[in-house]
Amino acid sequence: MRNLLGHSSRRFKAAITFPLIGVALFLISNRVDELRVYQGANVAVYVVAIISIILLTGYSGQISLGHGALMAVGAYAAVLSQVYWHLPVILTFVVAVLAAAGFGAILGTAAGRLTGPYLAGTTLALAVGLPSLANQFGFLGGEQGLNYDVGLPPAWLGADFTQYKWFFWISALAALIVTWISFNLLGSHYGRNWRALRSNPTAAALMGIHVGRSKVLAFTVSSGLAGLAGALLAMTISLVTPSAFPTSLSFSIVTGAVLAGVTLLTGSIVGAVVLVAIPEITGALAAHLGGSEKVTSNLPGLLTSVLLIVAVLLFPNGPQAIMKRTRKSSQ
Amino acid sequence: MGRLLNTILIGVSGGSIYSLMALALVLVWRSTRVVNFAQAGQAILSTYIGYVVITHTDNYWIAFPVALVAGALAGALIDILMVRTLMKRAHSGPVAGIAPVIATLGLLGLIRAVVGMIWGGDLRQFKLPVSNHGFTFGHNTIPFAPINLLIVVTTVVVMLIFSLIFQRTNLGLSLRASAYQPEIARLAGIRVDLTRTIGWAFAGAAGAVAGMLVTPTNYLSPNSLDLLLVSGFVAAVIGGLESLVGAAVGGLILGISLALVLEYVSSSLAFPVAFVVLIAVLLFKPSGLIGAKRTRHA
Repeated sequence: MRNLLGHSSRRFKAAITFPLIGVALFLISNRVDELRVYQGANVAVYVVAIISIILLTGYSGQISLGHGALMAVGAYAAVLSQVYWHLPVILTFVVAVLAAAGFGAILGTAAGRLTGPYLAGTTLALAVGLPSLANQFGFLGGEQGLNYDVGLPPAWLGADFTQYKWFFWISALAALIVTWISFNLLGSHYGRNWRALRSNPTAAALMGIHVGRSKVLAFTVSSGLAGLAGALLAMTISLVTPSAFPTSLSFSIVTGAVLAGVTLLTGSIVGAVVLVAIPEITGALAAHLGGSEKVTSNLPGLLTSVLLIVAVLLFPNGPQAIMKRTRKSSQ
Repeated sequence: MGRLLNTILIGVSGGSIYSLMALALVLVWRSTRVVNFAQAGQAILSTYIGYVVITHTDNYWIAFPVALVAGALAGALIDILMVRTLMKRAHSGPVAGIAPVIATLGLLGLIRAVVGMIWGGDLRQFKLPVSNHGFTFGHNTIPFAPINLLIVVTTVVVMLIFSLIFQRTNLGLSLRASAYQPEIARLAGIRVDLTRTIGWAFAGAAGAVAGMLVTPTNYLSPNSLDLLLVSGFVAAVIGGLESLVGAAVGGLILGISLALVLEYVSSSLAFPVAFVVLIAVLLFKPSGLIGAKRTRHA
């Protein structure tokens, strides 16, 4: 337990920092309009999703192009547990995490033995194929999907407390908790094992780290977080459908993680803000330039892909690697 | 018995296309050590170019070579513009191993967006080059149609051409040498960069052929080849990711087993079956049925 919570000074700092961020977010959410609040909720969802990739790729050195599918697993688990078991909302989130983590554990057991291209291809296959399965089983609601209802905000928050603000609160709280747990997890011996594994699997094995088990653990934790992100995403659109989890969602999360600088936990907020800002920017651009529906509907995809390519070509180790280099050369 | 034979024939026709996609992936893998996920994008771009030629000339047989050349050019261009930079820059650091994969992913998104901007997201259809009504023997009509025969024959021809190039020409020798040991190949006077570009061009052409063959019996949209990419990857993994023969065999195995499942079990199981086959091969025969032992280390 001590390992999970990290050293006491870190714990102290975290105990102050995270509530402070929470209060700041709360104050901000009272001052901006509804659209921004909704976008804030989306940012929080992406933060959770990007952190799941950062843990996996940045720390254990595995890649997943299929986290969109794991998000779908989480979302469907949450909605099914609500529809069929009538679980309270908070428990549906727990179910989402457990279901996706379980799925990830099975996948990770197969994938733990895989290196780069095999893992990438297997997870890509998942991203392409899994969401469409929902169309083939009646109880998953087909293309129309299933309604996912987290309920109205509690009455004691006041009459003018809107639904979107409630979404924002839930997802921002989830993002904060996830960030806090991840910080401590990466500071613990699990985090050290993963870093060792990423740098040199052979040396890590010689040091007594069980390579396979560590990788599967990373995959399981990451999948659980992806499942939570999926349930949160479903919450913001009040619906779970196959089309909410397209292949491009998996690609977006990877893009966000690369822009975040895949080894930097705090970078996740940058990646998430960029992902939410892209449709806004392209929307403004399209309105400014005119252009047909064909062009405007593909602008976000174009911008995301260009960002991804440029990021990988210019700073394959994340933006912070560049900063480090300039700092070194200026000294 | 007739039903089984018919199913296998259909499986061979579907599997041929998987083989071509697998071949495209294997060619790039051998020369660059990257699974090129942008292959689906390159193939879709070439197929759209073929589609434009068909709508203008009303002739599939003019469109086919045009698409093939377009695919080869696109492959070569991608190597020169992107892969070269990538090979120079991304060689160390935590993300170096996955940077190329992520770059091909970005490229897939980029090509798809550009294709969507030019042609939109509507589903389009080709005019069939040959009939899709099954051959008739006496009173029996079988599901295997001239279009399936065309697919199988074209695939066999493409495979033969590639194996001739690889086994009988100097170019093939240098392609094999640079795939096997780039440093030593360079010392032996092979221009490794150039051979890699040629490998990408070949792969682009193979992908274009796959796109031109699968589209007449299907429809065309900016992501209509995604499933083909996945099937091609599964086929390539079955074959060991390293060998051209493996790609061909892997495609046929996948095609026939999918056809059997669809015919005898359920038509909704295509994807789960492909995925289970992939996982099973990775778990029990990770080097592929034909691949060499050392393929595992990326």
